[in-house]
Amino acid sequence: MTPHADPAETVVSLEGITKRFGSTVALDGASLSVRRGEVVVLLGLSGSGKSTLLRHVDGLERPTSGTVRVLGRDVTGLSGRALRELRSEVGFIFQQFELVPSLTVLENVLTGSLAAVRGPRLGLWSYGRAARAEALARLERVGLLERAYQRADTLSGGQQQRVAIARALMQRPQVLLADEPVASLDPESSDQVMALIREIAVDEGLTVICSLHQVDLALSWADRIVGLRHGAVVLDTETEGLSKAQVMEIYGRVATSTDQLAAIELELAGDAVR
Amino acid sequence: MTAVTERPRTTEAPLAPRAAPPRRRTSPERVAAGLTIVALLVASIVALRSVEIDPARMLQSWSNAERFFGRVGAIEFPPLAELLQLTALTLGLVICGTLLAAVLSVPVAVLAASNTTPGPVWRAAARFVTVLARAVPDVVLAMVFVLLFSLGTLPGILAIGLHSVGMISKLFADAIEQIDEGPRTAVRAAGGTRLQQFTAGVLPQVLPSWVATVLHRNDINLRGSVILGYVGVVGLGMEMSFAFKSLDYGLGLGYALVIFVLCVVMEIVSSSVRAAMLGVAPTGRGLGDRVVRRATRRRADGPSAAIVTETVGRAPAAPAAPAAPAAPAAPAAPTVDAMLRRPWDRTRVRNTSWGLIAGAVVVASVLVCDIAWSDLVTVWGGVPAVAVRFWPPSFGSYEASTMVAAMGETIAIALAATLLTLVASIVIGSLAARNVAPSRGMRSGMRLLLVGIRGVPEVILAIVLIVVTGLGTQAGTLALALGGIGLLGKLLADSFEEVPAGPERALAATGATRLQVYAGATLPQGLRALVGHSFYMLDTNIRAATLLGIVGAGGVGYYLLNASQGSNYGAVTAIVLMILVTVLAVEGLAMWMRKVLR
Repeated sequence: MTPHADPAETVVSLEGITKRFGSTVALDGASLSVRRGEVVVLLGLSGSGKSTLLRHVDGLERPTSGTVRVLGRDVTGLSGRALRELRSEVGFIFQQFELVPSLTVLENVLTGSLAAVRGPRLGLWSYGRAARAEALARLERVGLLERAYQRADTLSGGQQQRVAIARALMQRPQVLLADEPVASLDPESSDQVMALIREIAVDEGLTVICSLHQVDLALSWADRIVGLRHGAVVLDTETEGLSKAQVMEIYGRVATSTDQLAAIELELAGDAVR
Repeated sequence: MTAVTERPRTTEAPLAPRAAPPRRRTSPERVAAGLTIVALLVASIVALRSVEIDPARMLQSWSNAERFFGRVGAIEFPPLAELLQLTALTLGLVICGTLLAAVLSVPVAVLAASNTTPGPVWRAAARFVTVLARAVPDVVLAMVFVLLFSLGTLPGILAIGLHSVGMISKLFADAIEQIDEGPRTAVRAAGGTRLQQFTAGVLPQVLPSWVATVLHRNDINLRGSVILGYVGVVGLGMEMSFAFKSLDYGLGLGYALVIFVLCVVMEIVSSSVRAAMLGVAPTGRGLGDRVVRRATRRRADGPSAAIVTETVGRAPAAPAAPAAPAAPAAPAAPTVDAMLRRPWDRTRVRNTSWGLIAGAVVVASVLVCDIAWSDLVTVWGGVPAVAVRFWPPSFGSYEASTMVAAMGETIAIALAATLLTLVASIVIGSLAARNVAPSRGMRSGMRLLLVGIRGVPEVILAIVLIVVTGLGTQAGTLALALGGIGLLGKLLADSFEEVPAGPERALAATGATRLQVYAGATLPQGLRALVGHSFYMLDTNIRAATLLGIVGAGGVGYYLLNASQGSNYGAVTAIVLMILVTVLAVEGLAMWMRKVLR
């Protein structure tokens, strides 16, 4: 869909990002560079700065210092329409789905096209037939076509996240950001959602940055793992040929407290038994 | 009530050194709040004595009333056609006014809500508009507009519309502040503008609550329209005031009865609409709740159950299966083209019918009001002349001390009425709470009583009481006290039902009696809400007390009406300013109290 001029082109590049909220330091000189079509997982415990980093890519946060370049544009310098244009090319998937519960599934998906239509839209019919057809096709892609006219809050968590994916696709994005997309889901729905994101990324040639806290999942799912701790990048490696024990060892460095280390060791032992 | 001040705040706990002996720490503000409550209680008791409620005299005058009613003869009604026409006019006028207020409230609320305001200056300005609109009684606005427009429905519509902005925009803004920010962030992340963020992320979330607010305000405005009739706003209220003025008590009481029935019907309609729309799970055992519950249950396990099983069957199972379009042939799998046409399912039929009904009501209201739109243009020429008549404020022929005394009387009425309401509401409200009532029958009975009381416009109550007890503060106080029970009793019952059930169960488990559980667990937990609601009641009563005087129930309202009918507009301004200061002072006190006791 998008012109793939150079497959090795860098589409997201963060350099020395520091972000302070009052006295707390959320990001501490983090750098990251992602090439077109890569599927990257940000790994880290809660509070390690994963979400803040993702929000910088979409211009939802501005860094205290450092530069953010996305799709060839300096995000920190953008505002108004230029910023909205950039955001429309970057899809965002949230941990809590963030659908409007009282609207229909279809209307929720249609809100993904707001940047393209300009101006406010009220009600399903204000979007036009072409947009509705496209939204339905996106819903079909995530396997929820027959739910189009149901209220969003009548769906299960996994289904809601799939609707949110359809909404993000409605933006026709080049980059897809996912912030703990399966943290609120049961294991089965998690697998479905993660598989779907991966499939779509491949089909549409999307660049994906996804934050997770499960090592297993990251290892089997991503091309590349980036570990964060206290807002700094402490690990950046391809997953190819990486064993779980190796990651766990690194993750031990990523983890902060002895409790967490103990939990990790326990998990490793469990794996050995299995 | 003073117990509130002694309760240690949990948020303060970590500040206190752990090792120190458990000493109760109370901030000076909380001490002041406690003292204020005590002072108000004492003042209310003094006020109660001053308004001279005398049961013996009331019994005596009851026989007066009986004789009076005997002389009045039967309650009369106007011819049916006229009655229907007047009813339609009153309803239409009230609905138009409320809608005007709703429209005006949207921008005010957006500017006033902390999460949508463009800046602190805008926010302060919007809050100011809200407070001001609430503080100026609609009757005063109506007086001014009647002067400007002289005839037609516009004075009433504008008076209701402007005054209601106060309450509606406040509640609209509260609803905006309570939204889940997530969907809005999602629209922002997708590149939406601020306006799009509002229409796609905020509006759908607040809409049910907004509609509920408007319906609620419409009930209040219908009740208020009676008193607007006294200052020349057309409709049932005006005909009633004419009937009473020409001493045709039978006809006047007939109108009063019609208005009462209208209010009750409206209240039932709007509360069932609110329940249906908000999707509140009806938990009660009343007839309405039962009907609603049954209807919703049927919808829940209707067609959707079938779909659930279907999707589970065809959910993409593993990442190994690559985008295989081969869905295991679900019977009649829908296509995109087929789905472009939205099926007429139950939800769509329901939504569409609601929309059509609402649209029809709005159109009918506008038509029945027969609004003289051109007046809106020509009126501006008359504004300077009218403005000059209202300025400067002066008491004119009245003594300033008489006016201050009258204002004091109004405050006394409000305080005394609040105290009476509070005492009665604690009893009735408790018995109407599910976790306190000794039996279901008791709870249903009490709830029904509260709804019945709420339906009666205070003005009607006051008029009937004036007939029974004679003109004066006694009638006003009793009218406010009785009317207040409907509101405060309901608020208290709801608050008691909302307290955490744990402590109640714990006490019951130790073998405490029902009364002990109530005193030991329910009441202490509900105390804070009780104080908050009581202040709200006082706030409401001060506003209402100024107006009841218009029908002869004591206080400053009597002079307000006199001044306006005697074309003494400087005095109207002076009295209104006095009322404004009082109302704002009480509002400030209530706000401070809520903050301290939070």
